[in-house]
Amino acid sequence: MTAFNPAPLGIQALEHTVTFRHQDQPDISVTVSTNTLVSEAARQAGIEINQPCGGQGRCGRCAVQVTLGSVRRRSTIRLQPEDIEQGYALACQSVIEGDAVIFIPPQEKIERRLTTDRTAAEVTVPAGYEYERQQTIRRLHVQLNPPSMDDQTDDWSRLQTAVRLQHKIENLQASLPVLQKMGEALRAGDWQVTIIVDLSNVLQSLEGQQPVRLLDIQPGLRDEYSPLWGLAIDIGTTTVTVWMVDLVSGQVRAQAAEYNGQIARGEDVVSRIIFASKDSGREEMRHRVLETINTLVESLCKRTQSQPEEIVKAAIAGNSTMMHLLLGIPAASIRLSPFITAINQPPPFTAREIGLAINPEARIDCLPGVASYVGADITAGVLASGLDDAEAITLFLDVGTNGETVLGNRDWLVTCACSAGPAFEGAGMQHGMRATLGAIEEVWINHETYEPRCRVIGNVKPKGICGSGLISLLAEMFISGLLDKSGNINLSLPTKRVRQGEHGPEYVIAWGEESESGQDIVITHVDIDNLLRAKAAIYAGFTVLAEQVGFNLAEVEKILIGGSFGKYINVEKAIQIGLLPDVPWERFVFLGNTAVRGAYYALLDWQALERIEKIARRMTYIELSADNAFYEAFTSALFLPHTDMSKFPSVEAAISVKPEGLPPSA
Amino acid sequence: MPIEIPKDKWPGSVQTVTLGATAAEGGTRTKTVTVGGQTSMPFMHFEAPAPHPPVVAIEIKSKRPEDWSPLLAETWGEAMDAPAKWAAKAQEAGADLLVLALTLNDTPESAVAATKAVLSASGLPLIVFGPGQVEKDNELLVAVAEAAKGEKIGLGICEDKNYRTIVATALANGHVVTARAPMDVNLSKQLNILITDMGLPLDRILMDPTTGALGYGMEYGYSVMERLRLAALQGDRMTQLPMIVTVGFEAWKAKEAKVGEGVPAAWGDWKRRAIHWETITAMALIESGADILVLRHPESVALIKAAIAELIPA
Repeated sequence: MTAFNPAPLGIQALEHTVTFRHQDQPDISVTVSTNTLVSEAARQAGIEINQPCGGQGRCGRCAVQVTLGSVRRRSTIRLQPEDIEQGYALACQSVIEGDAVIFIPPQEKIERRLTTDRTAAEVTVPAGYEYERQQTIRRLHVQLNPPSMDDQTDDWSRLQTAVRLQHKIENLQASLPVLQKMGEALRAGDWQVTIIVDLSNVLQSLEGQQPVRLLDIQPGLRDEYSPLWGLAIDIGTTTVTVWMVDLVSGQVRAQAAEYNGQIARGEDVVSRIIFASKDSGREEMRHRVLETINTLVESLCKRTQSQPEEIVKAAIAGNSTMMHLLLGIPAASIRLSPFITAINQPPPFTAREIGLAINPEARIDCLPGVASYVGADITAGVLASGLDDAEAITLFLDVGTNGETVLGNRDWLVTCACSAGPAFEGAGMQHGMRATLGAIEEVWINHETYEPRCRVIGNVKPKGICGSGLISLLAEMFISGLLDKSGNINLSLPTKRVRQGEHGPEYVIAWGEESESGQDIVITHVDIDNLLRAKAAIYAGFTVLAEQVGFNLAEVEKILIGGSFGKYINVEKAIQIGLLPDVPWERFVFLGNTAVRGAYYALLDWQALERIEKIARRMTYIELSADNAFYEAFTSALFLPHTDMSKFPSVEAAISVKPEGLPPSA
Repeated sequence: MPIEIPKDKWPGSVQTVTLGATAAEGGTRTKTVTVGGQTSMPFMHFEAPAPHPPVVAIEIKSKRPEDWSPLLAETWGEAMDAPAKWAAKAQEAGADLLVLALTLNDTPESAVAATKAVLSASGLPLIVFGPGQVEKDNELLVAVAEAAKGEKIGLGICEDKNYRTIVATALANGHVVTARAPMDVNLSKQLNILITDMGLPLDRILMDPTTGALGYGMEYGYSVMERLRLAALQGDRMTQLPMIVTVGFEAWKAKEAKVGEGVPAAWGDWKRRAIHWETITAMALIESGADILVLRHPESVALIKAAIAELIPA
């Protein structure tokens, strides 16, 4: 091993030894000449450094740490002064000028450092969850005295007596189907049974002797700690999400999502209501969503090795229209002036009544909504985000098909909804898809060659693009000059990736040979228009809401983003397209699907359910269609990033410093 | 008792735009037309005199239009068969500038020939409109722009889905463009941003906010124009462009102007009514800030020019 030669002053040595240090791997040294890029030196050492933006020094993902010696940094974008102090440098923007030892941090660590990316928080069991204090559904062991000629008490009275003595439950009630299976269970278990009861009435009321419903009776004494299954369900207009939860431990054991089967009968709530109002439309809509849920439940059961009959509780969030269509309640009045629902706070039901293919006696809580266009998805979302308990004034955006927005804190809450369409959930797009295996979730486009680099969920061949991918694709196309501010694709650029397609101009993100289907993956002009309308509706919604209460958005201390469009969002990209307001990135928090999270909390804790009811009563609904303000704000936002550029200073700066060599936009 | 009239003072002003180039400026026009420059709402002379009053353009076609009112055919006569003759007659009728509207039947060659004929028949500044179909517009206007290099003509119509080619040729050949958006303040503004993003300076853009005839949506267009002008005076750069309105095109579509028979007797004399329909539409729009009125009938031109003269203090 040769001596270590730091960069000499004045004269530079021509050859330098660079040692790369990897986690859990032996060091690798290479000899390179002066001015070799760190990324190139790494390549020579056989180490591939991840460069999503293609080495343009824009994404900050190729950060490495120089632990000995030094490199010359041509650009330090994305690096904080303290990062540089610690030796961080971008591999694609730094050159070797002397011997150096360079540590390549694991990718996750770099991603955590980036201020632009927001990943949805992990789902954890709410702090202090105690099944025995908070859960309404309980599994109890009961030991009965076997009947004899001396004791000819009937089975039901015998059970009631045992339950009263052993569990202090005074008023046990049961449906006919449970009574029908009771006798056999008692005998098969040799007078030892496990029962499942619903204690909701007892927990929610201070008065004694409240009825307790017997949901199920099983022979023998089941393991107390074995899972007791419940479901948290969010019925989105576009995406239905179901979480399979063990009510005993409180843990989410599996998650699944799928497009709502009703999409085939209309993309937005209004067209669904119209369809449901005709002939057998109402029954068809109900069956379509039930089929979506039941299929999801089936796959969750397979994954958790359980049976649908073992699921004894569900909490359902969803907008008011979805709730009506699920319950088969006529929804026409939601669409017609004066826009009222049949019911905002549905009572508890059984799975049998609703038609869910789980234990027919399972308790179903449909969470309460506020109004026709502010449903249980948003009240659940407020609970999940903790907005109703926040001290600072907070903006909560649900980037979904109905673009619900809430502004306020623990003292006041105002809300509105605007029809954004399903674009950000990947629906209704040429190659859109949900954020699952094979979805492109991040795109970087080279400013000179217009070649894209994609990150695909699961690192497989891409199948399509999900919501977060669409946000980053739109932003990159705009910043690179592929799109003008109005969203027109510039067909005159020197790249084969822009072309006149079947549906007008389009951009090819992946060629057939790279994609899973063998077909080119494209974004069309029509897709871009849909995305622009969706982002404009959401932006207009929260700006008008803020104006109505006389609040300046720049003063919002925290912006919470919910949405089932992916598990991550790049806030810088979302600002560049004008979806999110141009405020410092630190103020954004991405929560993922807040509706299902709220349903999950309500599933576990009866007090959380009560809190959602309180939230529903507290929220003030602001009707956006009442005057022209929304339309004004919408057309104004129908531009990249916005017609009023002064609202987006950071974007103005980003597009005015395009790299050199960029052809003029003409 | 003396009365103090309150005066508004605005931070912004309307951009001036000049059409046409004289020999000294590299063209062959005998005069140029400059519009814009206002620092107050229309005709508020006591606040600030407007440097350039509204002007009137007469619309002529490259080929005899078959769908124009017989009243227009009657007044223009055989001149309608030859753009050169029509241009000369329009100049006699008092036009400040000319609008040559090309048709779908034009080829680049015929469009260039018509443009050249008009330019040699009249020394007035010229605006050329494509027939209004994207591919055809681009094909014809590029040829016209190149043939008229140096004349600083106006090229129309740029819309948000089709502006690149027209703006590029205006940039290359030193012309002005007209930017049309469908009666919406934001859409007008967005199109102006797209055009200036390509590098065309603001003093080479006219905006066409789209209007309707009297009784056919004019009041909506009026309100949009008024709001555009208010935004301009408040200092919003991308709304500070002079406005051109195609009054003749709109007014002569209206039933009241178009139809002579089978209408109530109370509607009165057809010709008088038709000319008034065009004049009154134009009159209202100059009150909302129009800078260039594109008219069709010579009598409307005379009436509106007289009205403008009366509105300007001596």
